[in-house]
Amino acid sequence: MQENRTRYPSYDVLNEKDQWDEHTREIVIKRLGPFPKNKFLKEHEAEMIYAIARHVVYDQRKEILDYVVHHLDNTLSSPMGENQRKVGTPEQKILVRRGLKATDNLAKEQYGAPFLKIDVQQQFSILDDLARGKAMTSEDWQGIPQKEFFKKLATEIVNAYYSHPTVWSEIGYGGPAYPRGYVRVEMGLTDPWEAKRDAKES
Amino acid sequence: MPKSHDFVKHNCDHYDGHCYDHLDKRKYGDEADICIVGAGAAGGVLAYGLSRAGFKVVAIEAGPFWNPQTDFASDELSMQSLAWNDTRLVAGNDPLAMGHNNSGRGVGGGTVHFTGVFYRFHESDFKVKTLDGVADDWPITYQDLDPYYEKIERDIAVSGPKHFPWGPFQGPYPYPEREPISANAEVFRKGCEKLGIRSVVAPLAINSGPFDGRPPCINRGFCNQGCKPNAKFSTLIHHIPKAIGQGAEVLSDCMVTQVHVDKAGKVTGVTFVHDGKEFFQKAKIIILAGYCIETPRLLMHSACPLFPNGLANSSGMVGKALMTHSGHDVYCKFHDEVRIYKGTPVLAATQEFYETDLSRGFVRGYTLNAHGSRPLGLAKNLVSKAGNWGEKLYDIMRDFNFYAQVTLVGEVLPSLNNSVTLSDEKDEYGMPRPLVTFSYGENDNKLIAHGVGKAQEILEAIGGEPAFVIPDTGHLLGACRMGNDPSNSVVDGFCRSHDIPNLYICSASVFVTSGGGNPTETVMAIAARTADYIVEEARKNSY
Repeated sequence: MQENRTRYPSYDVLNEKDQWDEHTREIVIKRLGPFPKNKFLKEHEAEMIYAIARHVVYDQRKEILDYVVHHLDNTLSSPMGENQRKVGTPEQKILVRRGLKATDNLAKEQYGAPFLKIDVQQQFSILDDLARGKAMTSEDWQGIPQKEFFKKLATEIVNAYYSHPTVWSEIGYGGPAYPRGYVRVEMGLTDPWEAKRDAKES
Repeated sequence: MPKSHDFVKHNCDHYDGHCYDHLDKRKYGDEADICIVGAGAAGGVLAYGLSRAGFKVVAIEAGPFWNPQTDFASDELSMQSLAWNDTRLVAGNDPLAMGHNNSGRGVGGGTVHFTGVFYRFHESDFKVKTLDGVADDWPITYQDLDPYYEKIERDIAVSGPKHFPWGPFQGPYPYPEREPISANAEVFRKGCEKLGIRSVVAPLAINSGPFDGRPPCINRGFCNQGCKPNAKFSTLIHHIPKAIGQGAEVLSDCMVTQVHVDKAGKVTGVTFVHDGKEFFQKAKIIILAGYCIETPRLLMHSACPLFPNGLANSSGMVGKALMTHSGHDVYCKFHDEVRIYKGTPVLAATQEFYETDLSRGFVRGYTLNAHGSRPLGLAKNLVSKAGNWGEKLYDIMRDFNFYAQVTLVGEVLPSLNNSVTLSDEKDEYGMPRPLVTFSYGENDNKLIAHGVGKAQEILEAIGGEPAFVIPDTGHLLGACRMGNDPSNSVVDGFCRSHDIPNLYICSASVFVTSGGGNPTETVMAIAARTADYIVEEARKNSY
């Protein structure tokens, strides 16, 4: 999974962190950990989200996935609203908690073991079914729309993953640029501190 | 920047989370002349215009009074808090994504995180029924708004081209167009050039030179996360401080939950909640400027024996004919890096496809904006709106720097089936959560297909390879529309409600049609015209 992760092997966005404003720096650095104990997620739920996140973002690095789980816990324990919720879908706390339980039971029914004990291919197959709303239904899924459950988890996982500075470095994203801004914005121009491609690449 | 020179602190009593200790000792606690609910694009223009005319103005805002220096970050995730995050229930064939793409919470409202794209509507937008036989005509014309468009552009020093080739206003704009433009905007303009499509550097409410104590843009790129340098206009840093300077009071973190009516059928004031405690604000005139969901929700929730279907709702049109803009994002991949994260998100555009052309098989039209993105905005849309995850998502994002993006702003025709109603679920204030129902119509879908195709053609013409399209929407419009006939509209052409003489509704909620371009300038022009009207009326009568 890890080969050819980046076109910018020598770039680290954090090298520029002293150039960022203090408020932004504080927010971004916190994503490197350490993280406080989960407030909402139980241990088994956190482990399941960790496993699901590996599939959703196609990555298995612990330092990033730990932050992903922390972000999910933060989101689910926050009193903030969820912008929109489809009619017939329960609020996110219930959606995720019951959805995870139903997913675990689905794994047992389909493969004879809980989600964390089945192999990666089987896990993927279950998630793929859920994403399309085509997984086997049972009483567990009463009032838990599979597609909405998967979408909620996947969206929050991606929210965290693409906010991690290691991922910013890999995709060659310049990141925060205040107070200095971007000076060379035209086609083919880069500021001296921005990501440069590997010279060998065409 | 030392705090004593902070632009926002100037003339502002509510700063850095500081509000009056005792909301019982408010400046106009006994009675205000005018109470404005919502301190966004419309509310700010009204607050400034009316306080300058000598009225005692109170603006009540549900969200915080932001300080750009200490509250805004160059970070997408943490700045999602600038949106109206409260849960709305959504339904319909095309349930709307709510939040960052179409709303703001806090002083400044949506202008705090808008892209600053600043278009006038065209003459045809106000007479769609007459010209195209669909929707309805507005009770006002382009000529009614023309002086206000000009005033707003001058007041905030809109930057834009010397010549703007579409619509009745052909430029020049008060400030020169932005330069340099980003690679993404360059690619777009070159593609247009190849196809013989006229394009321009986008007119923007972003400084191209110093203005009013604010610096020119530094191409940081985080317009949608709140502008830290204050180079982008927002109501938060322009109209609100000026209104406070003229004597207006701004109450932030105060959620209005009820509009009160007396036996004679006039509004008397509002109830608002701060920190779990209820307060009453008495006022001679109330203006609801809370955009397209909260305004109809408040009107319906304020139902009383005299107005059992909600205030200003004798027509039954409160909450009806809600619109959005189709906002599909079209991506093509290039051999060379484009780096869409750099610079002001929208720096080039075309309105070549704005007007009806029946040979295309649909009426009305759209704007295409060359549009930048940061990684989270793209990845989140890919997973939540286009269903990409796993290896597919990873493959796309690895090449983040190689995509160019064009975004559609497509007209959506009004339909009575698209609505805001009250659900059975209650929110933290005990108010019913809004239920927002939306489905595209046939004309909308044909327009989208055409716009997406055209955007792809433009990028292909310059060597791009079609990569993916993300179905998205932007802005909200309608749900309390204006009209001459009280039986099928909520307010008149000056935003005064047909049913209650001292109640006004002034925001994008009064739009009759959506237009095919970014709406903020029209919202502000309408607000400026309403402010003038209220001043005129007050001279003539007393309420």
